Amino acid sequence: MGGGADRPGERFEGRGRRLRFLGRLGLVFGGGIRLLAAAVLALVVVLAGFLLANAWPAIVRFGPGFLSGTIWGDQPGGPFGAWPAIAGTLLTSALALLFAVPIGLGVALFASELAPRWLRAPLAYFVDLGAAIPSIVYGFWAIAVLVPFLGDTVEPGLSRLTHGRWPFAGPTTGGDLLAASVVLAIMIVPTIAALSREALRAVPRELREGALGVGANRWEATRLAVLGPAAPGIAGSIVLGLGRALGETIAVAMVFGGVYEAPTSLFSRGATIPSWLVTQFLNPLPGLDLNALYELATILLAVSIVLNVGARLLIRRLEAPRRSRRGARWRTAPTVVRVPAGTDSFAAPAWWPRIAERGRARRRWRAVVQGLVLALVVGAVLLAAYPLASLIETTAVHGGVAVVRPSFYTSTPPPSCGIGQTNCPLGGVGPEIEGTLVMLGLAALIAIPVGLLVGVYISEYRQSRLARATSLVTDVLVGVPTILLGVFVFAVVHTYDQTIEASAIAGAAALGLLMVPIVTRATEVALRTVPASVREGALALGFPRHRVTLRVVLGSCRPALVTGNLLAVMRAGGETAALLLTAGTSGLWMTSLTSQTGALSTFIWTAFESYSSPNYTTDAWGAALVLLLMMAVVSLAARLALRSPGGPGSV
Amino acid sequence: MPARLEVQELNAWYGGRQALYDVSLEVEDRAATAIIGPSGCGKSTFLRCLNRLHEETPGARMTGAVRLDGDDLGAADAVSVRCRVGMVFQKPNPFPNLSIFENVAAGLRLLGVRRRDELDQGVAEALLHAGLWEEVEHHLDAPGTSLSGGQQQRLCIARALAVRPEVLLMDEPCSALDPIATAKVETLMARLRREYTVVVVTHNLAQARRVSDRTAFFYLGKVVEVGPTDRIFASPAEKLTENYVNGRFG
Repeated sequence: MGGGADRPGERFEGRGRRLRFLGRLGLVFGGGIRLLAAAVLALVVVLAGFLLANAWPAIVRFGPGFLSGTIWGDQPGGPFGAWPAIAGTLLTSALALLFAVPIGLGVALFASELAPRWLRAPLAYFVDLGAAIPSIVYGFWAIAVLVPFLGDTVEPGLSRLTHGRWPFAGPTTGGDLLAASVVLAIMIVPTIAALSREALRAVPRELREGALGVGANRWEATRLAVLGPAAPGIAGSIVLGLGRALGETIAVAMVFGGVYEAPTSLFSRGATIPSWLVTQFLNPLPGLDLNALYELATILLAVSIVLNVGARLLIRRLEAPRRSRRGARWRTAPTVVRVPAGTDSFAAPAWWPRIAERGRARRRWRAVVQGLVLALVVGAVLLAAYPLASLIETTAVHGGVAVVRPSFYTSTPPPSCGIGQTNCPLGGVGPEIEGTLVMLGLAALIAIPVGLLVGVYISEYRQSRLARATSLVTDVLVGVPTILLGVFVFAVVHTYDQTIEASAIAGAAALGLLMVPIVTRATEVALRTVPASVREGALALGFPRHRVTLRVVLGSCRPALVTGNLLAVMRAGGETAALLLTAGTSGLWMTSLTSQTGALSTFIWTAFESYSSPNYTTDAWGAALVLLLMMAVVSLAARLALRSPGGPGSV
Repeated sequence: MPARLEVQELNAWYGGRQALYDVSLEVEDRAATAIIGPSGCGKSTFLRCLNRLHEETPGARMTGAVRLDGDDLGAADAVSVRCRVGMVFQKPNPFPNLSIFENVAAGLRLLGVRRRDELDQGVAEALLHAGLWEEVEHHLDAPGTSLSGGQQQRLCIARALAVRPEVLLMDEPCSALDPIATAKVETLMARLRREYTVVVVTHNLAQARRVSDRTAFFYLGKVVEVGPTDRIFASPAEKLTENYVNGRFG
């Protein structure tokens, strides 16, 4: 506190200088983080500006017809229409939610309420791992396992059963709307399950016990006392799942067929906005073609902003206290109960023996209901676990061959060799590991301190307008599809020099952009869990405010901060779409930060594109296994960090 | 007076930590038994063993027997035990998404009461017995959580009474309430103890004197002394009890 330093009392004479110094330091610190928050805010505005400026020629040229047009640039200069991509995005996301919501909620209910206790922690770990697996790995697995399974078994069966009637019309290829929706569903189940589980677990134990105390069984207690208070969190998890489905790029680009047509049946090929963006941005034609792509990206940005802001409003509305919904459902008029005469005695009413007599049968029936719910929930867990188990198994089996070879880590990728060609030369992913580490390191070096400080600013200066604006923007940025972060950087770079190559610097910038909001949010949430008493205790000892924040408050929630940072690293480490646009692919050892640089994730994409080369494929599985192991280790570390002294906190 | 509830050699653990050691106790019918003792002496654990809520705590374990009218509660179905042995908690915990009416009706609905008039009667009775009826009869549709703390606690008592338990357990029911609300709940307890078998855990010695017929003094997980409340406070047999009731420790 700088105030006391200005006029130190006589008894404090000796300490005056030190206090004054600390006070000034506090002012510098406060000003510094305010400036940083403003800079982040400005950066986001500038990036959005770049996007809009680049989209402008197309917006002017095509007008509202862009939304309904069905053709994408048959010849240079147009026409361009977004409808097939919009339709593809809406359909895949809606179907994915349809599959994923019941399964995700079932997993959450099981993990938080109904599972035996010893099973809960490992289950939570696998749910978290499922949420952390990079989409490139999901996509690669889907191409190898899911698409053949759907195309050879499920879809012909469905087609036969329905005689090819809508929506099961058309050739059964496996790489279609159904496949894209199923992959998306598999990817968002862990998101929905993890966040819903948090919401359920946040319900205080007294409420559950209150229900158990009146004779509810475990399911009834959940229904009566837990689902209601958890509803806002569950709604939030579904919206976040939807956001992830809308923005998912790589896995969809791999399985959806890449045809620019609005899907007409479950077996149609198509594209979504993000999948179309990534495939088109990889070979952009300058001019109106590029402007139209930027316009498509702007639409995606608008959708994700609307969704995020909508989710905020929804949660706020659900959390607001209001008159009971249950009361309103049972009756429309307000409840009026006339007390029958003689009620004030403790004697049981005439109907009571009837109820008491039926008690045993009734209890058995209630146990049956609980059993049914449990069966459904366990079914959901199995449905969720099966793809995850298959993914881990497939990756381990195919990638295991590659990762046991020392040269896998030290040599460059092999030259491509065709199917049937014997003695293909073996290669490795040395440069890709190098590229991942360098770009991740650069990004973390900038993003973690910036994110931490901005998070501190937001939570310490909650009331200020700048803090609230920054908080809103980081919230939105967390939910923005990562492909857009790549598009942002691409736009900035190419606005200055159209011929410029993709580079490690640009890749690191995109990853940094991805990490900053995650770290900020994690810091903000972690700081909010620190009780005011800790702060007040330190202030009462005469600590200056910035020291209280830095030493005491940040110190007391260190585990949650570590977890937040690990999550950010994890997300960035597996990122593919943004890196494809900004860092490109290389296959060679890095020579400078300004040339194209490969990463493990983008290497898998390259292998997918040249799928015919078997040695390449093995190394790609190896890269997938390395990513998978990295996620497994990091999410384990994140869990352990949370368990260490310093207490629970969550992101 | 006949014993309603018999507890024999009850031991309880939380993980590796033992909370109760060979507790044996008889609880009389239609009387209030107060459990007193310093913090951490196992009072609440004892109470939670009586309706088998103890086993809901992760890592918790118990041995020994609890008999209600001779039925071994440990062998019975936990759900039916909790219908016979109702509980009121330290902090008022009405179901947050249910109206006042539905909070009280919840237990009845679980038991299969469906008819409108029966539900109405059951809810009205429970609220009357809990002394809350006059305060809420005109806004039964308001959320249970919109009531004041003391009202919420009486709502929870009504919720427990609605399913007509044989025993009512109260775990420091007034510790979260202000003096006026406490007085109301105590008046209610004075009435209930004539009709129910009440076991109340309390920190407040004066309250134990006011509302109970018998008192058990717990210390470090063991029963030190049980007896009529007047005797326990006036002339305790054990030195430890005397020191505690005279405020020399705890």
